[in-house]
Amino acid sequence: MLTVADIDGFRRGDSDAVRQVYREYGRLVYAVARNMLASKELAEEATQQTFVKAWQAATSFDSSRALGPWLTTIARRTCIDLHRREARRSAVSIDDVAAAHPSLVTAGPDLDQGYDAWAVRQAIDELPDDERAVVRLQHVEGLSHVEIAEQLGVPVGTVKSRSFRAHRRLAAALGHLREHDRRRDHIPEQPFDPPSPEPSSDARRTLG
Amino acid sequence: MNDDDRIAYLAGEPTGSIDDSDERADLDELRALLADPGLWDEPAPGLEDAVVAAVSGAVGARPGHTVAPMPPAAISTAAPTTSISPTESSASVIPIARHRSRWTRSVVLMGAAAAAVIAVVATMVVLTGGQDDRETFSMVLEPTDALPAAAGEATLIKTDSGWQIELDATGLPRLDEGDFYQAWLRNEDGTLVPIGTFNEGADVVLWAGVSPVLFPTLTVTRETADNVQDSSGDRVLVGTITQD
Repeated sequence: MLTVADIDGFRRGDSDAVRQVYREYGRLVYAVARNMLASKELAEEATQQTFVKAWQAATSFDSSRALGPWLTTIARRTCIDLHRREARRSAVSIDDVAAAHPSLVTAGPDLDQGYDAWAVRQAIDELPDDERAVVRLQHVEGLSHVEIAEQLGVPVGTVKSRSFRAHRRLAAALGHLREHDRRRDHIPEQPFDPPSPEPSSDARRTLG
Repeated sequence: MNDDDRIAYLAGEPTGSIDDSDERADLDELRALLADPGLWDEPAPGLEDAVVAAVSGAVGARPGHTVAPMPPAAISTAAPTTSISPTESSASVIPIARHRSRWTRSVVLMGAAAAAVIAVVATMVVLTGGQDDRETFSMVLEPTDALPAAAGEATLIKTDSGWQIELDATGLPRLDEGDFYQAWLRNEDGTLVPIGTFNEGADVVLWAGVSPVLFPTLTVTRETADNVQDSSGDRVLVGTITQD
């Protein structure tokens, strides 16, 4: 958890404070950038630029407000700028550009994007390791419970119970449950991290 | 429909079904995010140091600030080869030290962006009335796109023999075996006066036979012992004294 001294140090550009802020929010900023830019290199560039821009604007930041949503906003705008820059550079023949080149993204990231990525990444990070592994194998790798059990060397029943617990935590953290409240699911509150400073209607619906 | 149904649907269970189309769309959106490999990506281990270095570089580029030391881990050994205009980026970017040997085009451009956005700022402080009343200047040296993580300070002291220049720079990888750094003073007409060569940037003592008042810009270039005495133009540090 960041302290007021950390925020003040960040304003001054103190290296230790910058490091503290990065450790608190760097992964989330990177997740937003990765989600919006679909390129590791550009996401890293966006993360750096986000923190530099945040420092440049830090004197105007109200330290009584949450830092996370403010950083999200900066990250999203930075990603959009970077995407536009990459798009301007794609002046060569389309045949000469690798299919995976970031400038070939057909539709640029929109302003609503990013908030959800921040919230979901935060919820993923809060999962216990064993549950996070199951969710990843299930959604990213597309494995069945049986395949996950084989890969992890645990009974299928264990995979099922971990999957159910993990998805219940995710749904609760992201506002998709109607009958359970968050305290009952032991999802830690994040006073420094409300999900969104200015959520769109879509984001509100998604994040609850 | 209860929460167990919602959880089952989110988990992709065959038993999970959602009647409400809006709610189903929300859960589908969440499932799509969970299936995005990028969202699970961990940032490169060097990104933390690169972020700290980038902010430190920006701090140093702001007039009136002292450059903070750059962490060695953030320093790349790759020399960017392409520049982009200042309008293309509003924040400096430090290449991330990686274990892989080949740099992607994007990372090279990231490094190149640094010089384009870091203003060449130097401060001159005339310290007169000190213990020995010698005329002394100090300046802050800023990086170029060649080595964005470089930084340095120099103190120029007038002596009877000439100007003694104490340079202390970080972020300059050691050069030797025929490669070296060379420092220069330059006047407004672009005339260069060599003031010394060195291998590493820490605690370097240089000497100049011209006054920094007339030759107010100090540059450091990368050179090779090739019997060519002109500057290579491969600048890695620049500081320009500005008269108050």
